[in-house]
Amino acid sequence: MALSKIDVSKMITGTIGVANGGTGLTAGTADQYLKFTGTTTLASAAVSAGIAGYDRWKLGTSFTGDAQPITSNLSRTAHGEFSKIGTGMSESSGVFTFPETGLWEVGFQAQFYGDANAYGRIQINWSTNSGASYTSSGWADTSSWGQPNGNNGNYRTITSSILNVTNASTFRVRVEAEQQDDSDGSVYGAASDVTFIEFTRLADSQ
Amino acid sequence: MVDINTGRPDHIEDALIKLHKGQWFTWSDVNIKVYANLQLTEKVGIDGDIVDNPVTTLPTEEEVNAKLKELQDAWDAANGG
Repeated sequence: MALSKIDVSKMITGTIGVANGGTGLTAGTADQYLKFTGTTTLASAAVSAGIAGYDRWKLGTSFTGDAQPITSNLSRTAHGEFSKIGTGMSESSGVFTFPETGLWEVGFQAQFYGDANAYGRIQINWSTNSGASYTSSGWADTSSWGQPNGNNGNYRTITSSILNVTNASTFRVRVEAEQQDDSDGSVYGAASDVTFIEFTRLADSQ
Repeated sequence: MVDINTGRPDHIEDALIKLHKGQWFTWSDVNIKVYANLQLTEKVGIDGDIVDNPVTTLPTEEEVNAKLKELQDAWDAANGG
């Protein structure tokens, strides 16, 4: 007699392994997913829900000349639609400390204002020894050349660095902005995010 | 900072940034940038070092206003004012 149905609850004990079309599991965990932990094994595992760390700080006050590094007038972006993701960065005299290890992207955007022959440079510097020494990584230049009729105008630049933060307690980041060739420009600070630094945790440290 | 449409200096911060270079000043309330809230910063960044602010005295309100007027007069003269 042919079987039209099999009552697995009465005919099978234990679990059915992956090789036989099963999962090899007796239970899972709420809100987790299955993933292969070997060629024939599955496990219940959590899946990262997007970016785990993000923060943004803005320059609130303008200055002329150089700031190597920028040491003041930095504050966390505070408009109503933003809130940091995770613990957020710590800042003291322009020196930033990371909340946790990881592969972090640090972005720096600056807006300058100056005459028709001004140009500026921004740079990101990092330290692995609590700020005893810094390494430059990521710089960018910008200029106001081309302003019509020799008028003053705005000019902007952006740079970024990917930093492998393996020790959050000793890793530091700071940024600087300078006017090249003593040009008569200024860095624009404002209540909105015109000149700002942002930090994004991309993955675990490498 | 300057009038965004014309570029004409129209705020005391326009004058302050022309009195000294670098980050020599700050505000007790960054959202209310008036002379009464003007303060000196403790530290500035120079050539990779964080050092004491070399500017040790705030300008008077009259000096700030005079500098702003000087900048406005120069802008007006250069723009047919």
